[in-house]
Amino acid sequence: MKSETRFQIFASVAALTLSGLTGYAASQPVSNTLASPDSFASIADTDARSAAIFTELGKVLTNPRCVNCHPAGDRPRQTDQSRLHQPPVARGVDGHGTETMRCSICHGDANFDPGRMPGHPEWHLAPREMAWEGKTLAEICAQIKDPARNGGRKVEDLIHHIGTDTLVGWAWKPGFGRSPAPGTQQQAGALVDAWVKTGAACPAG
Amino acid sequence: MTILALTINGREHGPREVRDDLTMNDFLREYLGMTGTKFGCGAAQCLSCAVIVDNADGTSYTSPTCIVPARSFDGKAIRTVEGHASNGELTALQKAFINHFAFQCGYCTAGFLNEAQVLLERLARKPVARAELEQTIAEALDGHICRCTGYIKYHEAVRDVVLADPQRYLA
Repeated sequence: MKSETRFQIFASVAALTLSGLTGYAASQPVSNTLASPDSFASIADTDARSAAIFTELGKVLTNPRCVNCHPAGDRPRQTDQSRLHQPPVARGVDGHGTETMRCSICHGDANFDPGRMPGHPEWHLAPREMAWEGKTLAEICAQIKDPARNGGRKVEDLIHHIGTDTLVGWAWKPGFGRSPAPGTQQQAGALVDAWVKTGAACPAG
Repeated sequence: MTILALTINGREHGPREVRDDLTMNDFLREYLGMTGTKFGCGAAQCLSCAVIVDNADGTSYTSPTCIVPARSFDGKAIRTVEGHASNGELTALQKAFINHFAFQCGYCTAGFLNEAQVLLERLARKPVARAELEQTIAEALDGHICRCTGYIKYHEAVRDVVLADPQRYLA
């Protein structure tokens, strides 16, 4: 092969590789941060401000770290791509798995990174009525305010649930190979607090 | 480091010190030389590494070992593929696997055997109607991957063992 031909092949491969890398970078999330409640102070209308705060919180609620265990069906999802949980498992009667395949068989008290296993002492699925998968943010907002579909909580209780619950907090410390939820749990809790204090309005649509 | 003591196939092991990041699969295979338990996908997705964990109340379940720390088995009693046969005599289930030529390469067999054994013991405690048997077997073996595609043969082998003793396993 002539050196000129070799160079042309090399240049083509390099261009393709660079193109692929650029595309990969472009497909990555732009931001993994959360805006503070103060960022929305310029929105004069209280309902609009509240809805905007919830929309910011929605970055967390719709993140795979949360939605994977708030599935539409009985089977959780996993990975940043929200693939169906493998091996096949089901929520069972109490959300902790079936009688013969309890979540705790594999999921220990803490992440076990050598096995790539996430863990928490209370590892389980959110109840069926709390499913978020496939829903719009407006639908999730209406659902999260409804005691019949949020575990019997008042909206004020959500400040603690999202802001300090350690199982929810796992979403920010998910272990090897899993992207954490945006921002920090404290920031998410602050958004819930601000959302509740502004009337817990939901975004449109 | 953690101190680990457990019972495997009726024999006590430990206490001995193990690394916190040691998987149960490595403990069995590398520390104890019990290589009957396989390492397949390494992600609990094929279940070739599954062992039986015996509860104090007489119930049992299977657990993958490739993604679970050895220290989490401290104080537990488990059974591995090495613990099924007694004095060289294979169990009815093992014989059925052979008679059905259920496995070819055999890599998944330990996992299937343990899962099927747990199923048989569960059926002995809670028999099911004949009409529910096929689904019961299918659900029990679900998740175990056989790259030689022996699924039907494994299923048929388990069914044969159940039907050979209907008073024990069927309601």
